[in-house]
Amino acid sequence: MEINNRVNRDNSISFEDIDKRSNKTNDTTFVDSNRINDEIIIEEISRNHKLLHRHRIKQNNINIGRDYHNDIILSDPYICPKHISLRYSQGAWLLSDNDSINGTKLENSNDKKRKNKREVKRNLSQESHQQIIHDGDIITLGKSQLRVVFKDHHVADTVAFSPFEHIIDIIRNPLAVFLSIALFMLIAAYNTYLNQPSETNISQLFVGAFSKSILFALWPICIALISHLTKNEPRILAQLGISFTFYILIWIVNLIEEVIIFNTASNPVMDIASTLLAVSMAFSLFWLNCYIGYHLSAKRRISVALCITILLFGGSYLLQYSKKPEFDPMPRYDATIMAPSYLLAPSNNVADFIEESKNLFTQASEAAQSED
Amino acid sequence: MKTFFILVFILLSYRCFATEQAEEIFAQLTPSLYQIKLIDKASGEKSSIGSGFQISKDGIIATNYHVISSYARHPDKYRIEYLDHNGNTGEMDLVSVDVINDLALVKRPTVSDMPYFLLSDREPIKGEQLFALGNPHDLGMIVVPGTYNGLKKESFNERIHFTGSINSGMSGGPVVNNNEKVVGINVATSGNQIGFLVPHDKLVTLFKAYNNRVQTAVEPVAKDHIEKQIAEQLFANQNKLMDALLNNTWQSKELAGKAMIPIIDVPFIRCWGDSNADKTDAIIEAVIANCSLDESTYLSSHFFTGGVEIEFRYMRAKDLSDDKFYHLYQQQISHAGPGNRAMKEDVSEYQCRHDLIMPESTINTDKVINNKTIFCTRAYKDFSGLFDVLYLSASVDKNQQGLVSHFTIAGVNQENAMAFTSKFMEAVSWK
Repeated sequence: MEINNRVNRDNSISFEDIDKRSNKTNDTTFVDSNRINDEIIIEEISRNHKLLHRHRIKQNNINIGRDYHNDIILSDPYICPKHISLRYSQGAWLLSDNDSINGTKLENSNDKKRKNKREVKRNLSQESHQQIIHDGDIITLGKSQLRVVFKDHHVADTVAFSPFEHIIDIIRNPLAVFLSIALFMLIAAYNTYLNQPSETNISQLFVGAFSKSILFALWPICIALISHLTKNEPRILAQLGISFTFYILIWIVNLIEEVIIFNTASNPVMDIASTLLAVSMAFSLFWLNCYIGYHLSAKRRISVALCITILLFGGSYLLQYSKKPEFDPMPRYDATIMAPSYLLAPSNNVADFIEESKNLFTQASEAAQSED
Repeated sequence: MKTFFILVFILLSYRCFATEQAEEIFAQLTPSLYQIKLIDKASGEKSSIGSGFQISKDGIIATNYHVISSYARHPDKYRIEYLDHNGNTGEMDLVSVDVINDLALVKRPTVSDMPYFLLSDREPIKGEQLFALGNPHDLGMIVVPGTYNGLKKESFNERIHFTGSINSGMSGGPVVNNNEKVVGINVATSGNQIGFLVPHDKLVTLFKAYNNRVQTAVEPVAKDHIEKQIAEQLFANQNKLMDALLNNTWQSKELAGKAMIPIIDVPFIRCWGDSNADKTDAIIEAVIANCSLDESTYLSSHFFTGGVEIEFRYMRAKDLSDDKFYHLYQQQISHAGPGNRAMKEDVSEYQCRHDLIMPESTINTDKVINNKTIFCTRAYKDFSGLFDVLYLSASVDKNQQGLVSHFTIAGVNQENAMAFTSKFMEAVSWK
């Protein structure tokens, strides 16, 4: 038995690994012909390979079908009363189809490259009528699927709790969720207060903040709903907690960014940096949403989070781009000003400012010539 | 009662006299008056109309630049036509322009010597009766009597203040004195009975320059000579204007008793003020002073240049946190726009930069001010070397008070723009 030293951090089973091994396992089974009646595990699985039911059977002959004589009874109407039987002989399990109407397929599910679907059909010759079952093979009968695994089937390595798990544990605490939402509302109310040019009414502020938090709660609720619908644990508190924590985090990052912009002269790097920061923050949030909500492989999770990020930013960029007038007669400048307590950088002098502004004339002239 | 009759009689006779004279003038001068039409080549219909008058026997006709501006900017799209008193029409050439004084010379083909208007060799006297001629709203040629009221006081480029109604379509028509000599050209109106004329000497200069050019020219004029002429005039005008602004005294004046702002001591820059002292519910007290040059140079219906605007705004929080005050203060400076209209075909988009600036002249004094300063500029596409500039500065050193200083200048070169900016930046401070 070869030891699989490929580390699979994911909860889901990596089928490729099993496949590579299963051939070897079978070799050993053939050599060791003295082995008698091995235990066999038959799993009823759904179309997307989710486990529905698991049977552990210790007998040499197993009958599977719709009637009640069978060892495994499947209620799928496309399955015959006595559909297939599995037999242990000379150290191998053999599958035979009992002249079923819809036939039976044996496939090494993981074996996408070789695509060797072996069809077990009633009007085929005796040799091909019976097929050797390998570890991890999937039998399709009617509209149902069964996976056959042997006792020594290699399971994926244990996934260690990631540090996120610990943070998520704290965040999904009802008190923590409540606090993060409360803090979010407070920030929302404060921002509205800051931008209101007239006398402010406290209750009005909080009504606004409340509706804003409901609006922002839609995202984690949607994620939870989708994970519930896809037979995953919804973990709504964790989703709410992580999303609102991120909203607050984004606000803090924005504030820091504003202070930096306020304290520095115009710098094209700043724009790029702040865009990158926003993109990476959004990506992290989506990644965590996926981490909490779904059992995905690390690769899948990154690509899903990436897709949502691209969809969000690409979409909003496209929207902006399509709305952008052909010619903007208004100047686009950064008008960030903050109270003197945020002013940390030393000021420049007039002569230097004049000197540095000369570039603008060159840039404008070039723009005028190139657009001509 | 007797006196009354006499008065009425005198008045009546005066009116009669004036009417008679107007009739006479009209009859004599009509052959040299034209309606000028810009015809859109594609549709064959007129796109703008104005008036014009012949000033030489060989067919030179004077009008306003703004009447034929579309042709000057897009000679391929339009053609210029005249319509004389007999209803004859014909095509004309644009030979010279003066965009600063809104004048243009067009030339009609002639077969023989024609009657023409004589240009006056003296300025009118205040109160002198003048007659404005033109074709208002395409209604036909009319004559309007009015009074000469001297030159407009605050104008940078001189304009005659004429008391008499001038309406659109009369643009480019002549204004003559009793001797039927041209003393001005209709150019603008400012509502009831207030009209503005271009003084005749501007036309004399333009006409002389044209004659010189024609006499000395060896080779035919280049196709883009009108554009070059406009560029030269814009450059010269901005130099003249900026010289006047930079070399006159900048008086330091208090704003709201807290800030010191420069007021440029030239008559053509006029200042206005406002405050929200009457609004008791306002949470920020604001005092505004703005100064501007009221005239600008018309280049096309959507492109003006040559304007100057200066604005100062002092703000003080009544009962607010610093953060809230600064948020509202930021809103005040977030939407500054250009002072002149211009389109994609005229200018580039604005290029901006910002920095924190503390003018040296204020350092180590009570006046010290620390500003967030924004500077933007856009370049002219057809007049390379001319720019529109926008400056915006907001103080960031007082918790509950703010001072915004802002200006825009349209159509300046880099050197003048920067000289003005530099002087302006050093001139604004706290008190």
